[in-house]
Amino acid sequence: MKSELVNLNVNPCKMCMPMGAVTALAGLRGCMTILHGSQGCATYIRRHMATHYNEPVDIASSSLTEEGTVFGGEKNLVKGIENLVNLYDPDVIGVCTTCLAETIGEDVPRILADFKASRPDLRAGIINVTSAGYSGTQYEGFFRALRAAAEQVEPDAAPNGRINIITGHLSAADTRRLKALLKEMSVDAILLPDLSENLDGGHEETYSRLPRGGTPVSDVAKMAGARASIELAAFIDEARSPARYLLEAHGVPFIRLNPPVGLRDTDAFIKALASLGGVVTPELKKERARCLDAMIDSHKYNAKAVAAVFGEPDFAYSVTRLLTENGARVALAATGSVCRDFAEKILAETGRVRDYHIDSESAALDDCDFDTIERRAAELGVNILIGSSDGRRAAEHLKLPLVRCAFPIHDHVGGQRVRMLGYDGAAALLDRVTNTVLSNVEETFRGEMFEKYHRAESVLTPRGAGNSISPHGGKVSALPHPCFDGCSSKYARLHLPVAPSCNIRCNYCVRDYDCPNESRPGVTSGILSPAEALERFRRVRAALPELAVAGIAGPGDALADFGLTRETLSLIRGEDKNVSLCVSTNGLLLPFYADELSSLGVTHVTVTVNAANPTIGARVYGHIDYFGERFYGDAAAGILLANQLAGIARCAALGITVKVNAVMIKGVNDSHIPDIASRVRGLGCSITNIMRMIPVPGSAFENIPPPGERELEDTRLECEKILPQLRGCRGCRADAAGTLDRDFPLSDISRPAAPEPCGKRAPSARFAVSSKNGVLVDTHFGHTTEFYIYEYSDGGARLRERRPVEEYCAGEEGTGGAGKMDRILKTIEDCDYVLSARIGDSPRGRLASRGVKIHTSYAKIEDAILEAVTKYERSNAI
Amino acid sequence: MGTKSNVLDKYSARVYKNRKEHIVEIDESAPEQQIAANTRSVPGIMTNRGCCYAGCKGVVLGPLKDVLVITHGPIGCGFYSWGTRRNKAKTDDGRNFIQYCFSTDMQEPDIVFGGEKKLRQAIKEAVEIFKPKNVMICSTCPVGLIGDDIHAVAAESEKLYGISCTAFSCEGYKGVSQSAGHHIANNGIMRRVIGTGDAAPKTRYSINLLGEYNIGGDGWETERILRRAGYDVIAVMTGDGSAEALSRAHLANLNLVQCHRSINYIAEMMKDRFGIRWLKVNFIGIESTIASLREMAEFFGDSELKLRTEDVIADELSEIAEEREYYREKLSGKTAALYVGGSRSHHYQYLLRDFGVKTVLAGHEFAHRDDYEGRRVIPDIKEDADNKNIESITVERDDARYSAFLTAEQYDELRGKIQLEDYKGIIPDMQDGSVVVDDLNHYETEAFLEVLKPDIFMSGIKDKYELQKAGVVSRQLHSYDYSGPYAGFRGAIKFASDLTMGLYTPAWRLVTPPWRNEPILRGTVGYAEKTEAAQNA
Repeated sequence: MKSELVNLNVNPCKMCMPMGAVTALAGLRGCMTILHGSQGCATYIRRHMATHYNEPVDIASSSLTEEGTVFGGEKNLVKGIENLVNLYDPDVIGVCTTCLAETIGEDVPRILADFKASRPDLRAGIINVTSAGYSGTQYEGFFRALRAAAEQVEPDAAPNGRINIITGHLSAADTRRLKALLKEMSVDAILLPDLSENLDGGHEETYSRLPRGGTPVSDVAKMAGARASIELAAFIDEARSPARYLLEAHGVPFIRLNPPVGLRDTDAFIKALASLGGVVTPELKKERARCLDAMIDSHKYNAKAVAAVFGEPDFAYSVTRLLTENGARVALAATGSVCRDFAEKILAETGRVRDYHIDSESAALDDCDFDTIERRAAELGVNILIGSSDGRRAAEHLKLPLVRCAFPIHDHVGGQRVRMLGYDGAAALLDRVTNTVLSNVEETFRGEMFEKYHRAESVLTPRGAGNSISPHGGKVSALPHPCFDGCSSKYARLHLPVAPSCNIRCNYCVRDYDCPNESRPGVTSGILSPAEALERFRRVRAALPELAVAGIAGPGDALADFGLTRETLSLIRGEDKNVSLCVSTNGLLLPFYADELSSLGVTHVTVTVNAANPTIGARVYGHIDYFGERFYGDAAAGILLANQLAGIARCAALGITVKVNAVMIKGVNDSHIPDIASRVRGLGCSITNIMRMIPVPGSAFENIPPPGERELEDTRLECEKILPQLRGCRGCRADAAGTLDRDFPLSDISRPAAPEPCGKRAPSARFAVSSKNGVLVDTHFGHTTEFYIYEYSDGGARLRERRPVEEYCAGEEGTGGAGKMDRILKTIEDCDYVLSARIGDSPRGRLASRGVKIHTSYAKIEDAILEAVTKYERSNAI
Repeated sequence: MGTKSNVLDKYSARVYKNRKEHIVEIDESAPEQQIAANTRSVPGIMTNRGCCYAGCKGVVLGPLKDVLVITHGPIGCGFYSWGTRRNKAKTDDGRNFIQYCFSTDMQEPDIVFGGEKKLRQAIKEAVEIFKPKNVMICSTCPVGLIGDDIHAVAAESEKLYGISCTAFSCEGYKGVSQSAGHHIANNGIMRRVIGTGDAAPKTRYSINLLGEYNIGGDGWETERILRRAGYDVIAVMTGDGSAEALSRAHLANLNLVQCHRSINYIAEMMKDRFGIRWLKVNFIGIESTIASLREMAEFFGDSELKLRTEDVIADELSEIAEEREYYREKLSGKTAALYVGGSRSHHYQYLLRDFGVKTVLAGHEFAHRDDYEGRRVIPDIKEDADNKNIESITVERDDARYSAFLTAEQYDELRGKIQLEDYKGIIPDMQDGSVVVDDLNHYETEAFLEVLKPDIFMSGIKDKYELQKAGVVSRQLHSYDYSGPYAGFRGAIKFASDLTMGLYTPAWRLVTPPWRNEPILRGTVGYAEKTEAAQNA
């Protein structure tokens, strides 16, 4: 399966062909490699290999420049080889091509033939690998180089009774283990390649520039006379297979086996060696027994692993097999290479867990980038990532642990010492995986136990205990308004999302998610045109006779594109003479439009004022856009403040009820809020609403904690001496509709959700859906701030209500405070199903322990509900 | 000339002839010593240089956090330049493209039939998913050869999506090193980004910091000090930088140039177009940071600023006084070799000097003669086939926005006093007998180690392990081995503590195994006691 983006690779899970070729050649003794192309290829590859292996990696370059590109690079290549010979005196020289050499069509075999003819004294052999970066990945490059070695080294076909062992890219430590195993079994083998010394050297008294370890070229020659070859690679295609070449050219029979990773594949390898005369020693038998014992010891923990494995095809397949035989579930195996049999082989393996896993969905993707891996891992509920360190960005985004055990490992040390081969290697890697799973359990099990056994009913507090505003005086408009007269459920309101853009940047805001603090939600299912807004108004009014207020609260600023706001308001006013009209704004343009708002019949205006002096304002606001110019710092805050104050005064003078919202930001304006209240009271503001700043990841204030309930309440009490305080603000969405307690489902506008009929048949299932837009399941469970509660019965699903996650639990403050997850879980404690885009391990466990069924999906809500029901019905049937 | 001939001995006559021009032994009695630089590397000699693409995408454009850079080419180049420079960046809005690698991942058919269509689609996908305001396209080797018109695709994308889209023809084979890529990136940024931002009031102490890539947080430490002294940093090029900030860079009264090699082009062009003067600074090293701060105050000329500068210096110095003394005692008398890109080998000599460490060898990967000998030689630098191919643009004065902070008289007066629009290069700063090398390679590194026996060798990942195998303490000055910042006052202490840790770590004492009974070490190793330990053993 292809990655979703067919033309853009986002965070590649593969490298280029020359990388593989030079890695393979690093396993030959006394070999120096030169890349024919730009210098950058050699430099970049040296950098990547040296960082992984913590070893010097010397790869020369023919340093082609524009001249060489135009007139051919023969001169450079020949000079480069001569210099290598002079400085290093290598036994063999690898000449690998790059994109550049292949694109200009260099006839490298001809150049090398001429060169050899001109240097009859040349001691070194030359191996030429055709490795354009665009013709494949490092996986193919690696085997191409091995095959080139087998083809181009002068063969010594005299029968020698040895066994060729041909491997893919193994770590240095695994290669050493393989050599030890062969020795232990008394197998006289030729190992190709052998990078155990060259890419994991010791600290010696003298340092040799020329790699001294590796397979000697004389041994490569003898491969032609071996008894047999064993090729340890599952996916190599025949055209690149060295063993296939040795068979065809020299009649050496071969066996193809999976790399000996895991019990089964190590068994198969040892069996093959034994059939060729290898001795199975008692020590080896003991090792197998220990491995099996380790697997049995840890399978109960591994069963909790839901892994995503990514890397070269062989690596992904081997690790998948290792994990599967140990009871772990590989939900996703992925490779960046194009690999035809990949999915089929992987799924045959992962399918085995169907015998004993209720949740057995798995995917195998080739030609895949990390963007796709990340998304699929989330969908599949993966809880551990296994592969190269390039997975660290995905791990960070998904908040998952990453077991680094494939090339390249750049952010940790020890890439050269990674072990997975043989019985002990299987146990070693398995231990790492198991321990990663266990440390996760260790971190979360107390919470889960608490949830399961000690969760006292008394801890629960009833939801929706809203406060009304204090009975202090202050001008209150004659017309009822839920946001001004307390969050009463008596009146219904409709927010029309017609204002798309914003003209200021608050530092607590990330516009991607729209304003989180003010009209929290600026999130809407879409922007409406004024005509569509009128249509929605009509439909909602028809369904909700108690509709008293229509307002514009975003998702941008209502005055930033005033034309849209004006048109909407006048259409509504033309439609309904009685409805209250309200507008919420940052106030930047309020002085210019206050009169017009009044004449359009707006009776309520909310202005968000976060600072009453420019110095503090400069810390809250990043910039403002004002009449075509962008202002920053004090200048921006000064202009904004001046206009807010003038606007509030003008509105008040026009008889409009003005509410001031202030977002309380710890360490920025928290002690300054009473000043704001005093300042706006003098201008005719009737009421203030102090809101807590919610830190939004990625915003400038992401690291500022939200103020605690007590701090907030203290400030409100202090401000109450100045102006009435609104409490229990819900921070409604920019497209909110209905009463504050019961949201009106916009997706189903003709059938308002009625309160549940008492005493009637119980609904068959209640779903808590993590969604931002109310259409798709699109939110991570842990990030959900509001759940869509659906009820499913008789094959149909219906929205019942939208239920915000409470920001705090007043009753629990003294008990050390409840975490966000506790609040979320409490919010949906009456639900039977949870639908979310992704869900962490810990909440998954906690929900499961309560018998809640979990389904992850990105589908439309109604479809996702049906998916979930079908899935669980099926599993029940099983 | 002993050092030099010792090292060059092994070369063939042809290579000898080439390389001897790139190595200078400092002779203080010989004024104006010359070096060959910015010429082709010898093939096969294991140069540490990279390519044009690496200079353009990897160095200059890579750190721009609000720019979605698409590598147009096969997968390797994009992959290898992904997150490898430790440019740190933090964004206001959580959208940080430097964590991503975007590539068109060209395949064989794209090479044969052309990759424009794929590039066009890739931009479309990028715009749809990531919604960037700014897209930049960097081409790799094959793209220039198959004739994809990336500039036309960029122009078309601007119209289609209402974004800014700029293409950079930085194919790897252009020029002789990363340096060509820096120049190409500078040209594109100057043409397409600087000066396109909304106007805002120009403040008096507004500055840009050029050639600071925020490796390990250097830029943040530098900015912290500059802000304390009262400066308004408009744009940093390009560490933790953004196209958004760069677009307003024309509003500065002074450009500070940290890395002369990679960014002097922009400094010069901004002078011509907007009248902004530039000052060579160095915030690596305690004394050099102080000197740079004082020169800046001198430039603005206000007594209040000068006083505040002195206050900041005094305060910062008192904060580090104790540690500075401690590390000076630990490091004094050691010797160092430096081999970095195009400026750092000079900058770090100041920092080493702060702690009593002497530099015995310094070299640059891709510097030009002016970085070695000073800008005075620029008129004498001969153009060759390789640098002629790199476009050198001249910009017109922008009359509407041209504003010179200094009068002509003030400028003339200051030029004598401070490093205003001048850089004297590395050679005049080096001591008699020390060595300057251009484009050092694997073999020479080893040979110089034997002859000069430095205690510490600071360079990059490609020679790090070679040095360590040879028993010399190494520190990567490209990425700081996951440490940093090293800039400014606090950074200096961090650097000294890292060096001390490297030199004194007990492992070095175990280099000689207990069964060896004669010291056979060649060259001194980091820690004096080691030889002692060897003798005791």
